[in-house]
Amino acid sequence: MTTMDLNVSPLGQVEGDLDVRVTITDGVVTDAWTEAAMFRGFEIILRGKDPQAGLIMTPRICGICGGSHLYKACYALDTAWRTTVPPNATRVRNIAQITETLQSVPRYFYAIMGPDLTAAQYANAPSYEEAARRFAPYVGTSYQKGVTLSQLPVEVYAIFGGQWPHSSFMIPGGVMCAPTLSDITRSHAILDHWAREWLEADWLGCSVDRYLEIKTWEDFNVWMDENESQHNSDLAFFVRWSKEIGLDTYGQGYGNFLATGTFLDPELYTHPTVEGRNAALQSRSGIYANGQYYDFDHLRVSEDITHSFFRGEGSRHPWEGVTDPIDPAEGAKLGKYTWAKAPRYDVPGLGHVPLEVGPLARQVMANRPDAAAHQDYDPFVADMIANAGVNVMTRVLARMHEEAKYFKNAKKWLSEIDLHDDFYTKPTEHAEGKGFGATEAARGALADWIVVENGKIANYQVITPTAWNIGPRDGSENHGPMEKAFIGAPVENPAFPVELAQVAHSYDSCLVCTVHAYDGKTGKELAQFRMGGG
Amino acid sequence: MFGPPPTDTLVVGCGNLLRGDDAAGPILVRRLAETGVPSGVRLLDGGTAGMDVAFAMRGARRVVVVDASRLGVEPGTVHRVPGSELEDLEPPPSNLHAFRWDQALGFARWLLGEDYPSDVVVWLVEGGSFEPGAPLTPAVDEAVDRIVRGVLDDVADLSTASSGAAASGGEGVR
Repeated sequence: MTTMDLNVSPLGQVEGDLDVRVTITDGVVTDAWTEAAMFRGFEIILRGKDPQAGLIMTPRICGICGGSHLYKACYALDTAWRTTVPPNATRVRNIAQITETLQSVPRYFYAIMGPDLTAAQYANAPSYEEAARRFAPYVGTSYQKGVTLSQLPVEVYAIFGGQWPHSSFMIPGGVMCAPTLSDITRSHAILDHWAREWLEADWLGCSVDRYLEIKTWEDFNVWMDENESQHNSDLAFFVRWSKEIGLDTYGQGYGNFLATGTFLDPELYTHPTVEGRNAALQSRSGIYANGQYYDFDHLRVSEDITHSFFRGEGSRHPWEGVTDPIDPAEGAKLGKYTWAKAPRYDVPGLGHVPLEVGPLARQVMANRPDAAAHQDYDPFVADMIANAGVNVMTRVLARMHEEAKYFKNAKKWLSEIDLHDDFYTKPTEHAEGKGFGATEAARGALADWIVVENGKIANYQVITPTAWNIGPRDGSENHGPMEKAFIGAPVENPAFPVELAQVAHSYDSCLVCTVHAYDGKTGKELAQFRMGGG
Repeated sequence: MFGPPPTDTLVVGCGNLLRGDDAAGPILVRRLAETGVPSGVRLLDGGTAGMDVAFAMRGARRVVVVDASRLGVEPGTVHRVPGSELEDLEPPPSNLHAFRWDQALGFARWLLGEDYPSDVVVWLVEGGSFEPGAPLTPAVDEAVDRIVRGVLDDVADLSTASSGAAASGGEGVR
């Protein structure tokens, strides 16, 4: 039996870095530890500040999904201040959130997955030449178009938000903008152009409407070979190529999911409350664990710090959350190994369990029966999982599947804006209150918890999708979701473990890493391998 | 086609407002917006969205990038470097979150081809502290003012060209 450790270590970057240490036995990953190497001090910065500071600061947490941070920070304050939000404002917020995701996803696919898909290890696979022709960085035919056109959706964001990224135009009670008819027309034109030139022309090889007729994995397979154009689309080729190189065989994880949901219905959420949120969502929230669905209740969310560099152990709800960092060297003696907390959800009957977030989670919730008329019901991804499993390929497919759906949503909300109606209702700035705001960033569930006392922030906690996915073990020694997903992955060449990059990239997490491969017996470093997140 | 409006000069401040001296670029953009810049200058708070800096460069003849550096020299030290010295296209960015402006310049040359700005200048100010939530350190605070003057000198040709028209800059910063 050959056992070795692979160690993934950081490169100094803005959002933070991730160490992944992996034990390999006979060419298969048998254990994993994810170690976030940087302290995130945003919660400490916000304490004692004006309640609206979260609107300015949290969008700066991330240069990629600042609009998502703004969306949920605003709802946290809307619920704490009990504001009135005109339907138009909700439409504009939804459009902003969705265009940010529309931009992020193709950029992710070509710029982040592209290099993995064309890695030298796959040179002997039959379709390698075709993969390189399409996806090779900078020179690939699809890479060029996909990346170049990816900017278009956030130009729509900028029409409403003034600029993208780092806008703070969503405010409690509405949005700070007054769009004109030509803004709306231009937004439609931009999205139509993007859909025609990339989504339909390259990605799908058919119309968005034809694609969305797919309801099952069998439908999808029929669609793939229905005609030349669909067969040769980037989407169909990605599936064929994934099967050739085995992306459909590893990266499983727990198969249990959480979504906080997003896109509030404009008419049903004019008075935002925490209690009324689930029913007003278009993209539903929920939990799926051990084959059963549960309603999402934010009071069941907690963060466990047993293995994190914070004082103490056990878990707390974010309203009671404490961010009290300790010296990592001291923490290491207590079995602590990361700056990330471990978010957990108390599932009735199962206890505090780790749950995967992201597009796969959202699309599993879309399959839950009894959707209201305004809610998304879509059985495709759940059926794909039932037939093809959870793995790198299906996790990526779930993400890409949403592009077509989101495009339709964006167009719908644009067409519903009533230019003669309000976009803002001035709120009462209550000195006391508790709020919860959430969304689905491209990478998954993203939420803020705020406690306002004496007109100031008494507590502020942010749980990012990356924290849900890359968090560490908890007090019960359950692995974090991504730790779990590494386990079972084959590593053909420890000097260049592209399989680990594929697993990490399938989550599109916000962290940068370098893999160091160590021989478990001698401790000798075998290789370094840099990989990225989103 | 769609894209930012054509402009003579684009000034981009890069960095994270939440991390001490890394905020130098975005703060410089705010100070320029308050001071006023000649028409023909577009200001952009590039924040930490590296790849988008490249997209924003479309339609600009000249680009000025301002960012904090960690070179190990005296905090507050300012370097002014031609962009051509700093472009970096290889290896391809492995993480969109870690996309720095040097990669953005290389990426922009690929993206924009013949439309790549003919004049690219990078101002770097050495940071002293990158503590979350900390304000600019005094040395960097003062250096940002020096760069403001330097950038205004660089675009002084536009003030004359626009016959002393009142500063109308600040578009792009709202």
